[in-house]
Amino acid sequence: MKPALRVSLFVTCLADQLWPAAAVGAVRVLRRVGCDVQFDERQTCCGQPAFNTGYRPEACALARRLIEIFESSGSDAIVSPSGSCTAMLHHYEQLFEDAGWRARARGLAERTHELSSFLVNRLGVEDVGATFAGRLTWHDACHGLRDLKIKDEPRRLLRHVRGAELVELPPPGAETCCGFGGTFSVKYPEISVAILDEKVDAIDRAGVDAVVSGDASCLMQIGGRLSRRGSAVRALHLAEVLASTT
Amino acid sequence: MSFDREARAALADGQLRGALRHATTLFGERRRAAIADVPDWEDARDRARAIKDETLLHLDQFLEQFAANAERAGARVHWARDAAQACDIIAGIAEQRGARSVVKSKSMASEEIRLNAALAARGIAAVETDLGEYIIQLAGEEPSHIVVPAIHKTKGQIAALFAEKLGMEPSDDVTKLAAAARRALRRRFAEADLGVSGVNFAVAETGTILILENEGNARLTTSLPRTHVALMGIEKVIPRFADLEVFLRLLPRSGTGQALTAYQSLLTGTKRQPADEGPEELHIVLLDNGRSRMLASPVTRQTLACIRCGACLNACPVYRQIGGHAYGSVYPGPIGAVLTPQLLGMGESSALPYASSLCGACRDVCPVKIDIPAVLLHLRAQAVARRGSTGTRTLLERLAFASYAAVMARPRLFEWVMRCARRLHLMPPLGAWTKWRDLRPLAPRSFREEWRRGLCDEGAE
Amino acid sequence: MGSTGSADPGPATEDPQGPRKSFRAALVSSFTERLAAVGAQCSVVSGEAEAAGALAGILSGAGARRVAGSDAPLVQRLLQPLRDRFQIADLERLSRDDLFACDVGVTTAQWGIAETGTLVLESARERSRLLSLVPPIHVAVLSTRCICGSLGDALDRVRQAASHAITFITGPSRTSDIELTLVVGVHGPQTVHVLLLEDV
Repeated sequence: MKPALRVSLFVTCLADQLWPAAAVGAVRVLRRVGCDVQFDERQTCCGQPAFNTGYRPEACALARRLIEIFESSGSDAIVSPSGSCTAMLHHYEQLFEDAGWRARARGLAERTHELSSFLVNRLGVEDVGATFAGRLTWHDACHGLRDLKIKDEPRRLLRHVRGAELVELPPPGAETCCGFGGTFSVKYPEISVAILDEKVDAIDRAGVDAVVSGDASCLMQIGGRLSRRGSAVRALHLAEVLASTT
Repeated sequence: MSFDREARAALADGQLRGALRHATTLFGERRRAAIADVPDWEDARDRARAIKDETLLHLDQFLEQFAANAERAGARVHWARDAAQACDIIAGIAEQRGARSVVKSKSMASEEIRLNAALAARGIAAVETDLGEYIIQLAGEEPSHIVVPAIHKTKGQIAALFAEKLGMEPSDDVTKLAAAARRALRRRFAEADLGVSGVNFAVAETGTILILENEGNARLTTSLPRTHVALMGIEKVIPRFADLEVFLRLLPRSGTGQALTAYQSLLTGTKRQPADEGPEELHIVLLDNGRSRMLASPVTRQTLACIRCGACLNACPVYRQIGGHAYGSVYPGPIGAVLTPQLLGMGESSALPYASSLCGACRDVCPVKIDIPAVLLHLRAQAVARRGSTGTRTLLERLAFASYAAVMARPRLFEWVMRCARRLHLMPPLGAWTKWRDLRPLAPRSFREEWRRGLCDEGAE
Repeated sequence: MGSTGSADPGPATEDPQGPRKSFRAALVSSFTERLAAVGAQCSVVSGEAEAAGALAGILSGAGARRVAGSDAPLVQRLLQPLRDRFQIADLERLSRDDLFACDVGVTTAQWGIAETGTLVLESARERSRLLSLVPPIHVAVLSTRCICGSLGDALDRVRQAASHAITFITGPSRTSDIELTLVVGVHGPQTVHVLLLEDV
C-alpha cells in the first residue's frame, strides 16, 4: 500500500470563518482519496486583501509569516480550497527584494495547489466517490481560471459526481467575472452589482439547482445576490459537492 | 469630475448600457472568429511583445533612427515634450502656412493634447473626418471608446444631431446618415490646406509612418492638403519594416475582428518629384507628454506596448457596464485605467486603478500581452505609498488595514475577534454590501473550531 | 501539385512550368476568394483586348460618364478605345474639382496579396493615389503574375522601391461607427473592381 501523501491544508481566512463547509469538505475529500491531512492553526490570512488594495508592506509581513509556517509543515503538498488565495502565493515572490526570500516564496508557490488542480493533475483522480443529485452550473473564478489555468479540472470532477447534471452557461458565461474583486465589491458596489446581475441572470436562465465554484469569495457575491433576488438557486463550493455522499 | 458620480450616472442610463452590452458582445464574438483563423496567434502575440520590449529598452535610439530616416526622406521631425508644446508646434505650422481649413483623421494623441481647442484658440478650425469623431465633435462630447468613439449614441440621437447641425431631414437610416456626413466632409477635404493625422506605427529603419483605417478619411487627410502633420506618441516606433507584418496581423483582428482594415497608408517622407501626388510638406510631431517616465520600470514600461486596438475595453466587465465617459479621459477602459494616471499623475486620476475587479480578461485579449492587472496593482501600491492624500476615506482605510495587519499576525487574536463577531452578530459596517446583497449568516463554528472538535481525528488511521 | 522529374508513364509531354502554374493558380484562386469576401468585385480576363472589353462593360454597367485614368501605360491603352463613349480625363490635366466630379478612377495595382484580397499601390511606380481614393468607383487592373502570398511577401517587395506613399487597399471603404451597423462606401470608393489580367 502506498504511503499516504501528507497534505497541509491552506484553509484561507474566508473559508475558515465564512464558508467552513468548503474547508471541511476539502479535508474529507482529500482523506477519501487517501491523503493524510494536517492543519497548522497558526495560519490566518495570505495577505491578498492588503496586496490587492496596495498595502504591500502589510502583505509582505503576512507573506513572510505564511512562508515560515508552511515551510515547517513537513508536508508533501499544500492544498487550498481557493484559486485566488493559491494564486496570491504565486505573487509572493514579487513582494521581496531579497533573493533568499524570493527563493523561499517560489518554493512555497511550487508546493501549493488549488483543490481541483491537486486532485486531477497531481493525484490523477477524477472520481472522488461523490453523490449529489441536482442540476449544477460552474462559475470559473477569475484567478483560478486566468492565473492558475484551472478550467477543465473542476468540470471533470463534477462530471463524475453521481446524480449531478452539469450544465454549462452559454459561452462566455462561465468565464465572466462575478464582480467581487475584493474591496472593489464595496468600493464600487453599484458597478460590482451591475456585473453580478448579468451573471445571476445567466444562472437564472440556466434553470439549475445550484451554482458551484472554487472560490468562497465569488460564492458570497453570487449567493448574496441570488438570495436577495429571491432565487432558489444555491451557491455551493466545489468541495461541498465533492464531499457529499447523499 | 468624479469617477464615482460619472459611473453611477452611466449605470442609470439604460440606453447606454444596452448599447455597450451589444457592442462589446459583438466585438468579442468578431474578435474570437477572426483569431480562430490564425493558427499561430499566441506565437504572434509573443513576437509582437518581444518587438515592443526590444524597442522600449532602447527607445531613444530607435526614435533617433526614425527621425533621421524620415528627415532624409523629406519630412520635418519635431520633438514635443508635453501637450502644450505639441499644440504650439502644430498651431505654429498651421499659422505659418496660413492654413484656414484643417481636416483631421483619427488621432487619440490629438485628443490627449486637446489639439482642437488649442487650434480654435488661435482662430484655426479643425474638422474631424472620422465618422465617429465627427459625430462627437458636432455633439461637443468626448469619445467613449478608442475604436468606435460614438458607440454611446443611438442612430436616433445621431439623426437628431445631424438634423440640427447639418439641416438634414431626420432619418434613422444609417446609410443616409453616413452619406450626409460624407457630403458635408467632402467639401472640407477638397478645400483643406492642412491635414492632421495620427500614426499607428513608425518604422525606425525606413522613416515610414503607417496609418490604418476603414473609411478613407485618413487617406484623404494625408494626400489632398498641401501640408500634412502627423502626430504620434513616442511609443509608436518599431525597429524594422518587416516588423509591420505581425502588428498588421494582430491589430485589426483584435480591434474590430477584421483580417485587415480597408486601407493601410505607408508614408515615407515627401514626394520625390513635384508632379507626384501628395502633400508638399510632411511634419511629424513626436509626443512625450509623460510617456518617457513610464520607461523607468519593467512593470510600467509595458503600458507603452499598447497598440490602441481597444480589445481590452471590449473584454472588460467594468467598461461593459459604465462605458468610456466615466473614466474621464480620452483613454478609457483597462488601458485607460493604467495609462491615464501615468500620463496625468495619480493626483488627477487616483480612482482609476481601483475601478477594476482584477479579473484579467484584458490581459487575455491584449495582442501584446500587457499585464494590465500587474500595472493596476503597481499603481495601487503607489497610491497607498503617497503621503499626500489624507482624506477621511483614505484615513479610515489606512486604519482598517493597520488593524487587519495587526490581527492577522496574531492567530489567537484573529480567532477571538471572529468569535466576538459571531457571538454579537457584529459585522463591520458594510452597507455597501448589504444594500444589494444578502450577507451569509456566520456559521455557528469556524473551520478551525470544527477541526479541534473532531475533524482533526476524523478518519485518521 | 505535379512534380517535375517523376517517372510519368503518361503519353503527354511533361510541362516544366507545371508546379509553378499550379502554385500560381492556387494564389489566384485564394486572391479572388478573398476579394469576394471583402466585398470587392472581380473579373478575370485574358489579354488586353479582353480587358478593354471588360472595362467598357464595367463603365457602362455603372452608368459612368466621367472617367479618369492614371499615368500607367496599360491604363492609357485600355482607355484609348473608349474615348468616344466616355469622358476620359488624364490625371495631369485634372483640376481638384474635376477629380471630385469623376465617377470612376482607373489604375493598375503593383501587387495583389492572396492571403487578404489586398491591392498594393506604389507611388514610385504609378500615380494612382488619388484616383484610387476620390472617385466613388475604383477599377484596378492587376496582372496575375503580381499576386503574392502573404502580407509579409508584399512588405518585402514594396520595401525595395521605397515609394513615398504605399497604399494597401482591401475592399471598398466602410464604417461601423453608427450602432456598429456596417455601411459600405464612406469617404473612399464605394466600389472596387479588380480586373485580373492573365498572361496570354
